[in-house]
Amino acid sequence: MSADLRHIRNFAIIAHIDHGKSTLADRFIELCGGLDAREMSNQVLDSMDLEKERGITIKAQTVSLPFQADDGQRYQLNLIDTPGHVDFSYEVSRSLAACEGALLLVDAAQGVEAQSVANSYSAIEAGLEVVPVINKIDLPSADPPKVRREIEEIIGIDTQDCALVSAKTGLGVRDLMHLLVRRIPAPSGNRSAPLQALIIDSWFDNYVGVVSLVRVVNGTLNSGAKIRMWSTGRTYAVGEVGTFTPKAKPRESLCAGEVGYVIAGIKEVHGAPVGDTITLDAQPCAAPLPGFLQIKPRVFAGLFPAQSDDFEALRVALDKLSLNDAALRFEVESSAALGFGFRCGFLGLLHMEIVQERLEREYGLNLISTAPTVVFEIVTTDGETRLIENPASLPPPNEIAEVREPYITASILVPQEYIGPVMQLCVGKRGVQKRIEYLANQVSMEYDIPMAEVVFDFFDRLKSLSRGYASFDYQFSRFVPGDLVKLDILINKERVDALSLIVHRDSSQRRGREIVERLQDVIPRQMFEVALQAAIGSHIIARATVKAVRKNVLAKCYGGDVTRKRKLLEKQKAGKKRMKQFGSVEIPQEAFLAVLNSSRGTKES
Amino acid sequence: MSTVSQLPPLALYVHLPWCLRKCPYCDFNSHELRGELPEEAYVTALLADLDGSLPAACSRPLAAIFIGGGTPSLFSAAAVTRLLDGVRARLALVHDVEITLEANPGAVEAERFRGYRAAGVNRLSIGVQSFAPRQLQALGRIHSSDEARRAVTLARQSFDRVNLDLMYCLPGQSPDSAVADVDAALASGATHLSFYHLTIEPNTVFHARPPVLPDGDAAHAIEEAVHARVAAAGFRRYEVSAWARAGEECRHNLNYWRFGDYLGIGAGAHAKLTTAAGIVRESRTRAPADYLRRAAEGAIAERRVVSTADTAFEFMMNALRLTGGFPEKLFSERTGLPLSAGEPALSTAIEKGLLERRHGEIRPTALGARFLNDLVALFLP
Repeated sequence: MSADLRHIRNFAIIAHIDHGKSTLADRFIELCGGLDAREMSNQVLDSMDLEKERGITIKAQTVSLPFQADDGQRYQLNLIDTPGHVDFSYEVSRSLAACEGALLLVDAAQGVEAQSVANSYSAIEAGLEVVPVINKIDLPSADPPKVRREIEEIIGIDTQDCALVSAKTGLGVRDLMHLLVRRIPAPSGNRSAPLQALIIDSWFDNYVGVVSLVRVVNGTLNSGAKIRMWSTGRTYAVGEVGTFTPKAKPRESLCAGEVGYVIAGIKEVHGAPVGDTITLDAQPCAAPLPGFLQIKPRVFAGLFPAQSDDFEALRVALDKLSLNDAALRFEVESSAALGFGFRCGFLGLLHMEIVQERLEREYGLNLISTAPTVVFEIVTTDGETRLIENPASLPPPNEIAEVREPYITASILVPQEYIGPVMQLCVGKRGVQKRIEYLANQVSMEYDIPMAEVVFDFFDRLKSLSRGYASFDYQFSRFVPGDLVKLDILINKERVDALSLIVHRDSSQRRGREIVERLQDVIPRQMFEVALQAAIGSHIIARATVKAVRKNVLAKCYGGDVTRKRKLLEKQKAGKKRMKQFGSVEIPQEAFLAVLNSSRGTKES
Repeated sequence: MSTVSQLPPLALYVHLPWCLRKCPYCDFNSHELRGELPEEAYVTALLADLDGSLPAACSRPLAAIFIGGGTPSLFSAAAVTRLLDGVRARLALVHDVEITLEANPGAVEAERFRGYRAAGVNRLSIGVQSFAPRQLQALGRIHSSDEARRAVTLARQSFDRVNLDLMYCLPGQSPDSAVADVDAALASGATHLSFYHLTIEPNTVFHARPPVLPDGDAAHAIEEAVHARVAAAGFRRYEVSAWARAGEECRHNLNYWRFGDYLGIGAGAHAKLTTAAGIVRESRTRAPADYLRRAAEGAIAERRVVSTADTAFEFMMNALRLTGGFPEKLFSERTGLPLSAGEPALSTAIEKGLLERRHGEIRPTALGARFLNDLVALFLP
């Protein structure tokens, strides 16, 4: 049965990674009896293997909880989980669209971090009530007064009503739930109006087809109803609606103000696009809901199947992933070195890593990825402006009037003692300081930095030089003309398109040398010598050689035990299978990321 | 499944699994001897095992017998006599049968060698490994360089055909010290050299605690130097690690490489037999105690029919180790398959310059011989 609107609360939790969001969600589920003890595996909401392993939330999850308040009222609390990483701020905005309020969860020892700041602003902009919660107050290093000050000074929300909890021990969690009910407004909506339901998330299930997570804004969505997708105009019969408790629990209907799932026998992967409005075929709404901003990928890389016959499987897998990953963009790319694959657009490096890992794990694909690159803008000599997502497609120099690279505004929040190394890092990355503010114990800085510099190893280094305390958020700002050149890598005198990259001329010499040296390390010695060169146009700027191996023979092999010797050969062969044949040279997959690692390897000191 | 028109030649491998001490590089089925050597019981077990194998011989005479180990020379001449008499009582031997026994140089006596010769052993294979004291120590050998020399001298008194096992690319070895080893081996009067590049095998002490070995280029320099020296002394390399004076090739090992059949008796012994059901591979249980208990019923640990695809691969894995390769017709004679079963790998290998096919012979090129693993891997099913 649907709850009265006044007894529904839709909320998200905004938190930095490791600040205890999943643990808090688990306590909520436990307190509301969503799962029995046997079913409570740690961190229920992080359902993807990858999320469990990395301890981060990638996709929005949701859970609907019945809460019996002390005043005797029964509430339906709908928690829409949000990802905490900067690469996934888009996912956060989607989750927020389904809520009236958000808990801002801050670690009592670590204090406020940049992504939480950015996400809090998004929530406030979206008109949500933001309730501050200080977690991990049981830690010896907890300093709630300091964190309160930070929340007030950095984010600017009042902390008089701040909840103090330990999600781990459960301390204060029940009080928090009462606070939540009191502070977060009930949803509004007209249950007898024509149906308007917003698709927050969709994913493909091999048994039932597309499953969509929706927020019903107006009207009622009944099981069995004939629905219409606003964007495609296609109609489907609803097979099942329900809520997650967190187990899927079918219901008769979902009413305005509620969040739940819809299964409507949609077999085509893009049948229920995220951000679309669902309405009734018989009684359609007048206009769609605002939906979501189309997000632009900022980082591009080529993904190629290691075995060319997996191309079609890769296409299908990307298609399925892109269903609930609006930021993932892909189109066919053909490379002389790697054959057919896809040029994929990502929000950032973590997004790219996660997509690649999901493709490999969930779809059993063996992939080769090229080094990620940012999008460049060029003006050709005949005055045309073009975006370049692939260094290989940069026109020859005589056709280019200007190359522009993307700049971002980076917001960094760091405890005062690390300010020196952080500034050094930013300057080393061609960053220019725009603003600096001392807030409580932390320093908030804003830098103008070329995005290409940040994409590669900025985040890791920022983390390591601040012992994990610095946090970082960024936004694309603009394209800026620069002295940028295309750096080609030649293997045995042949250009390998998948290894080309666009770099600043000042660093081209160094990058070229680093890359050929790195390739020299990762390309195994083989039957013949392999010549490696880095070139700008026809000008060779660096070279290295992979010496030929002398032999590859088993010294001993008697008729006796053939199986073990055979296994050795099979192992060698399997190793080769993971390599790409380029002319007579075998190139291992990691070589195509040599561009990335080179900068990591040499500067990490 | 394939059928051959004529059964291949048959050899017999006998495994005597005990050693005084396990060497750190050794991955063979050898066991340190604790207490009395049960040679009486073991020979009885071997003969019982052989009884069970007789049907597979299909009345073929044995072309060669190889008594390997372990350290077979731990067995007395009397035990070896009883073993070989027992074999002769069960199977015919070709008139010029080659019977090899492996010996280690520690504590050998002229008397014992004479006894082996009298038992019918006509080829002795001595596990010298090196003549350099420092290397012998590094290899965990229990004999000294003097003992090594003395063992070969004694062997030569009883045997016309003597093989020495030598290893090169040893920890800290220079080309000069490797050549000195070769010179000592040549001077000893050996007629055959099994000349191994030391390889770190899994499940060995060296694998767990790897010694520092000469790297790729240094190893290559050593190999070039020693190969040149052995060749100059009139030895011919006929297999990856086997060198012989003319006519002194090891017939037993050649039978392996030419994909002949062999019975295998003893703990952990392997057999390969052509049967009506196809080519069958067998292995015996590895633990000596277990073998002693179960030999009468065969002590088979594994028995499998080699698939058609695997047959072609296994043939190549063996035959391409021979520097002279093999006559084309040998492939179908041994496998029962047309040569086309080796395609497309054959063509690929020729195209890559790893293999040559001329006058009805198929052999690895110089490049193919150096990259034999890459060549053979092409034939993996």
